[in-house]
Amino acid sequence: MSDAPGRAPSLRRRLARPGVIGGVLALALGLWVMAEAAGYAMGSARRMGPGYFPTLLGGWMAAMGAALAGLSLWREAPADTDRADPRALLAVLSGIAAFALLLPRAGLVPAVAGLVVIAAQGSGLMRPGATLVLAGVLAILSWGIFRLGLGLPLPAFTGLG
Amino acid sequence: MDLVSNLALGFQTALSPMALAFCLLGVTLGTLIGVLPGIGAMAAIAMLLPITYHVPPTEALIMLAGIYYGAQYGGSTASILLRLPGTPQAAVVTLDGYPMAQQGRAGVALFITTIASFFGSVVGVVLLAGFAPLLARGAMAFQAPEYFALMVLGLMAAALLTQGSALRGLIMVALGLSLGTVGTDLQTGTFRFVFGMPELADGIGLVAMAMGLFGVSEVIANAARGGAPVARTPRWREMIPTRADWRAALPAMGRGAGVGAGFGALPGTGSSIAAFVSYAVEKRVARDPSRFGRGAIQGVSAPEAANNAAAQTAFIPTLTLGIPGDAVLALMLGALIIHGIIPGPGLIEAQPALFWGLVASFVLGNLMLLVLNLPLIGVWISILRVPYRLLYPAILVFICIGVFSIRNSVFDIWVVLIFGAVGYGMRLLRFEPAPLLLGFILGPLAEQYLRRAMTVSRGDPMIFLERPISAGLLAVAALLLVWTLASAWRRAR
Repeated sequence: MSDAPGRAPSLRRRLARPGVIGGVLALALGLWVMAEAAGYAMGSARRMGPGYFPTLLGGWMAAMGAALAGLSLWREAPADTDRADPRALLAVLSGIAAFALLLPRAGLVPAVAGLVVIAAQGSGLMRPGATLVLAGVLAILSWGIFRLGLGLPLPAFTGLG
Repeated sequence: MDLVSNLALGFQTALSPMALAFCLLGVTLGTLIGVLPGIGAMAAIAMLLPITYHVPPTEALIMLAGIYYGAQYGGSTASILLRLPGTPQAAVVTLDGYPMAQQGRAGVALFITTIASFFGSVVGVVLLAGFAPLLARGAMAFQAPEYFALMVLGLMAAALLTQGSALRGLIMVALGLSLGTVGTDLQTGTFRFVFGMPELADGIGLVAMAMGLFGVSEVIANAARGGAPVARTPRWREMIPTRADWRAALPAMGRGAGVGAGFGALPGTGSSIAAFVSYAVEKRVARDPSRFGRGAIQGVSAPEAANNAAAQTAFIPTLTLGIPGDAVLALMLGALIIHGIIPGPGLIEAQPALFWGLVASFVLGNLMLLVLNLPLIGVWISILRVPYRLLYPAILVFICIGVFSIRNSVFDIWVVLIFGAVGYGMRLLRFEPAPLLLGFILGPLAEQYLRRAMTVSRGDPMIFLERPISAGLLAVAALLLVWTLASAWRRAR
């Protein structure tokens, strides 16, 4: 996100800079850590309670976040930033979620197949046939390596007897 | 015990068939993941950690270390052939390596980077064997204030010497330290940031977090990448450098190894920073700096020597002080602790077979890498042709099963998912995950040392400045901070 040369960038563009967003997030997170840590015993410098160290950390994070947001609002060094890829993000995270849901309910083979089929949509480059083949191969392979080879407690199918 | 008998013990350990097999497995896997862009040593080690629980600690460490320094070798291959760094450390090599490939000198570049990697590693291993025992003996006198000061220095170095901005690094360290406090407070038994989830009582799982931050976010960022253009395997004759190449490359390797060894031994700084600094040094000392970026052979040999030397000397603070040299070693430190081995000044004396076996395995592993990377270069180039769209679902399967198998916990898979999303968001906002991980691992230790030191001093923070070693370490940390701020200020003006 580079600003147009010559003119001062508009406030909206400034607010969308990665440093401003990141700084504000760090500020908020730091304050939240401090608030949460206030619920634990603080103790004294000599006998620090469980709340002492997190309070220091939250304060540090909030201060650095405020500094980063302020500095980035003023000026930000240009740098290559990855374009957000919502398709890949959604596909990979949904795939992992499917694995977490299917593993205890259906077993290793369905969980791996589900993960592969869903996550493979993230590239936008896979044909359905190839995806199914990949899912099958990886399911059998992981059953062979982890169940047969390493003997992990991962039944291929559960609930089917 | 002198060096000779120590090394004899080491080779006795490392030459056992099992250790040799794990060393070979480690360096081969390391080269593989180094060659492949989109999966780094971090993710590979995180993926294999669960498997090492079934292996004795020495062999496990030999294998994990092999992955780590093997990846340093392999990283340059894709940098040279495709202008896609296989590992972050190899990003610098693209600057001159890819132009060399375009000039038809890919073979020479691959040959020189392998030789430079080997040379840098040998320098690093010699320094490790020579200095680690001395440093460990010196560190025997360390008490809580010294350890705390050392951790402050390590965290400062990790935060400030990243390639992004210093402020972002400091935020990441604070976030990592905060995540490290999740779980049961050791002194009072209070639950912190647990929110009624029993799975969090022992803290966030290290491997699950690292896999999310490094593995999953990397996969998301690379998922849409198309197939790599096919690179031709260079013939043997094309790989032999000319005499002029040697004359330019050898002194650069020497300088690179020196820079790398220094940065590697500093706690908290990794091999990527060593590679960048050594490239800058080469540009500074060159008679004709304009050749850099157009295929200067110094530009590939120096950074390669530097990152490999750093990869070896990074074990010095890790094994003698218990302060990891960089984020990958932080993960390895976690693995040691899981195996019941507490890293610190006593490690070398308590576990001589482990330490010297590891040193000897570095020598053997680097010889294996020489073979793996020169005669077998064609194998790696053909692996580069496997499209990422087929590879990344397999990586995800490994990550998910690996994390689950650590403690048969579905909860940890959700942790991977959350940190995958967090890691990707950090990437978009240009935050580096490495200082976070270092903070996470050092956090609980740092807090204990801080509390202990403050109890000893009856609440007087001057204890850190009254003791000479701790004062010296904190002074270095402060200098680093001032120097970073000053150079950032100069650049901003």
